[in-house]
Amino acid sequence: MSPSNLAIIATLAPAVAALLLLIVAPLRHKGAPAAWVTLLGSLVSLGSAIMLLVGRLGGAADVRVTTPWIQEAGHSMAEIGVLIDGVSVPMLIIVCLVALCVQLFSVAYMHDEPPRAYGRYFTLHAMFLFSMNIVVVSPNLLQLFAGWELVGLTSYLLIGFYFAKPSAAQAAVKAFWMTKLADMGFLFGLLVLFVATGSFEWTSTPSTQVATWVTALLFVAVIGKSAQFPLHIWLPDAMEGPTPVSALLHAATMVAAGVFLVVRADPLFAQAPATREVMLWVGTTTAVFAAGLALVQKDIKKVLAFSTASQLGYMVAALGAGQAFAGFFHLGTHAFFKALLFLAAGSVIHAVHSNSLEDMGGLRKKMPLTTAAFVIGALSLAGVPGFAGFFSKDLVLSSLEGKGNWIPWTLLMGSAFLTAFYMGRVVIKAFWGNESEKSSHAHESGIAMTGPLMVLAIPSLASGFLGGWLASQVKAEYHVHLGLTPIVASSMAILGIVAAIVVFGRGGKAPFTGVLEKLDTFSLVDRTWAGGYRIGLLGIASVAGWVDRYLIDGLMNFTGWATLEGGASARKLQTGMVRDYALMVVVGVVVLVLIGVLR
Amino acid sequence: MNFEFDLGFSVIAPIIVISALFVVRAKNLIHAVLWLGATLLGTAALYARLNAPFLAGVQVLTYVGGVVTLMIFGVMVTRRHEGIEAEASSEGSERGLIFAAAFFVLLSVVIWKTAPVIPNPAPIATSAQLARVLLDDYLIAFEALSLLLLAAIVGAVVLVRRKDPEAVTKLRQGSALPLVNEVES
Amino acid sequence: MTLTSCLILAGAVMAIGIYGLVTRKQAVAMLLSVELMANAANMVFAAYGHFRGGPSAQVFVLFALAITVAEVAVGLALVMLLYRRHGDTTVDLASEARQ
Repeated sequence: MSPSNLAIIATLAPAVAALLLLIVAPLRHKGAPAAWVTLLGSLVSLGSAIMLLVGRLGGAADVRVTTPWIQEAGHSMAEIGVLIDGVSVPMLIIVCLVALCVQLFSVAYMHDEPPRAYGRYFTLHAMFLFSMNIVVVSPNLLQLFAGWELVGLTSYLLIGFYFAKPSAAQAAVKAFWMTKLADMGFLFGLLVLFVATGSFEWTSTPSTQVATWVTALLFVAVIGKSAQFPLHIWLPDAMEGPTPVSALLHAATMVAAGVFLVVRADPLFAQAPATREVMLWVGTTTAVFAAGLALVQKDIKKVLAFSTASQLGYMVAALGAGQAFAGFFHLGTHAFFKALLFLAAGSVIHAVHSNSLEDMGGLRKKMPLTTAAFVIGALSLAGVPGFAGFFSKDLVLSSLEGKGNWIPWTLLMGSAFLTAFYMGRVVIKAFWGNESEKSSHAHESGIAMTGPLMVLAIPSLASGFLGGWLASQVKAEYHVHLGLTPIVASSMAILGIVAAIVVFGRGGKAPFTGVLEKLDTFSLVDRTWAGGYRIGLLGIASVAGWVDRYLIDGLMNFTGWATLEGGASARKLQTGMVRDYALMVVVGVVVLVLIGVLR
Repeated sequence: MNFEFDLGFSVIAPIIVISALFVVRAKNLIHAVLWLGATLLGTAALYARLNAPFLAGVQVLTYVGGVVTLMIFGVMVTRRHEGIEAEASSEGSERGLIFAAAFFVLLSVVIWKTAPVIPNPAPIATSAQLARVLLDDYLIAFEALSLLLLAAIVGAVVLVRRKDPEAVTKLRQGSALPLVNEVES
Repeated sequence: MTLTSCLILAGAVMAIGIYGLVTRKQAVAMLLSVELMANAANMVFAAYGHFRGGPSAQVFVLFALAITVAEVAVGLALVMLLYRRHGDTTVDLASEARQ
């Protein structure tokens, strides 16, 4: 089967599943059948992705198949299709594999939901996978944008899955609004690109100024989607969604779409060094800021959320330094170990019936498999040598070395320390130490949940070693070397873990906790956005509402009133009195004569 | 435009107009009918002045002799109370005045602007000529007109006829009749 | 006497007839006004007959005359009916075509 067909199957299989579930409502309402359909769709996608991979391993060439989409006077303005190259195939594998694991995990995790909600959940998962695959295989920016928006939609629906809960509904709306605001950047970037170059390809070569504008606008969208400062605050709130959703969307795939966009559009970004400079600093700031806030979170999912934002900051910084491959590599490894961490957290939450770290403790005895999985993920995230995260993080840091980017390098090293430190805190609080009241009732989760954990643990360990192969796919350079960066990075990781054991092992608090907690609860960024929303958006909306109600509806009502009143007045002419009619005949004659005279 | 002082016209015209005014303003209906007769006579005089003597004669015969008589009969038959003259009051005269005046003004403007000055009047048309035109060129219209008159007569009779046989008997006996026609005609 | 003055005379009589038609309440009075109007029209024909030409105009006057007479006959018949219905010939009583 040709690669393009495989890619199309990979993209459309979940769509078929979603469509089937949407149309045939009983499948959805019964609950369990929906899970089967979705899983089947995801399995087909993964299968196709693996076959594509096999093809590439056998040395297949890049394939690009498109068909005209938007036509204007015979020539095509935009196309839709698939692009199969060294970037899309690995990404496809990552997305489909993580999605399948998450969906398998969800079968058990969401088991207690009522059947209709259960069915809805899996339908949304199918929709999401379809949307994400569109993004991954798209050959141009327009199709990517289409998939991007669909991803945003399904994310909103999944975050707000427990829509009856006010905080969940609000979190969904917040995520939606913030990302949509950022997506305006994408839209305007597309418009500028099209006006300047007449196409939506990222291989076009506009002038530097145009490229700077386009990439800057695209980066605005990335800031929103990948939760960079200052648009990061929707991500912690998005933890209101079910934990598997957080694992898939808000760790591995959706938020990674922003980074993926920049990787794809690298030729364009290469022409805009100014944008890259901004990206470097935004990424670095986010990496440090989010890591600091992760340190004081009491909710295990929120720790992981801030951690995600921080790691995305690493990727963005790498991209800002011009090393697209470093960002891409970290994207891949991060997808695996972050999904693993979230799912393991989900297992813990399921066992303890609470998200709070205070309700956990000493779980390593009760839930050994989950503990092992979580620890593997944590070590990978911290960047301990040998684990996947180490290799990718090392590459990111190396890319900053020696190009005059010492400040970001230093800051990111500090963030690496913090990463290890806060992960250590979580591990110790949840799995070591004394049991809390809730955790004493915990027990290990069934194979349905631990299975996916074990599956994801493998790439979390091993994907670091695939760096060389991945680099060859995208024709980038990569070699592991012993130098300043790896040594410092490894030291930071180890130091962080040791410090965590020292500080938290005895049940203490980290330094600066007070400050950070205040920062977290006060949340200036949150307030600013909320205020902007209230004043700006709601203000405009109320004006628009007023116009609609009084001017537009008023016009309609007035027309109606005028018609009725006119009719009532005209009716008065019909007096039924013969003489009045005689008068009207005369009036008519007079008018006619008048017209004749005036003409 | 030169005004030749035309004695005939300057006598006839005021008569016509003043009589017409009295027709529409008279309080007493019988008086109004009589004033109409005067107007029609004045019109006949005008026809004579316009070199149409046959027309004048016919006008007197049919209008003054026929129509005026008919009107008087009409008034007499539809009077309610004995001894009280039928009155013809008017209402809403302001509206009527405005529109009639507007009409007159407009018409005069039109006439003023369009009617040309004709130097030579046509010769008198004799009755013979008139007859020839009537019965030769407009024969079909003539015949149609006679049909129309027939229809009018028959129609008027049908409209007015009473269907109630009792009423017919009472009529013959000369007694008073109920006002409202029992059977709808 | 010019054509214009004849026409204006006819126009005046017509206007008076209109005034009467609109103003009067009694049916017979309205018929009188209609008579005036018809008469005015005849005057126009006759005037043109004199000033412009020929017997054709006078023929028209004859026709109009005959038609007017027919109309008076039928009109009076209707007045009779009105009287029988309501006992009075005020035209407002015939106003059944109301909203």
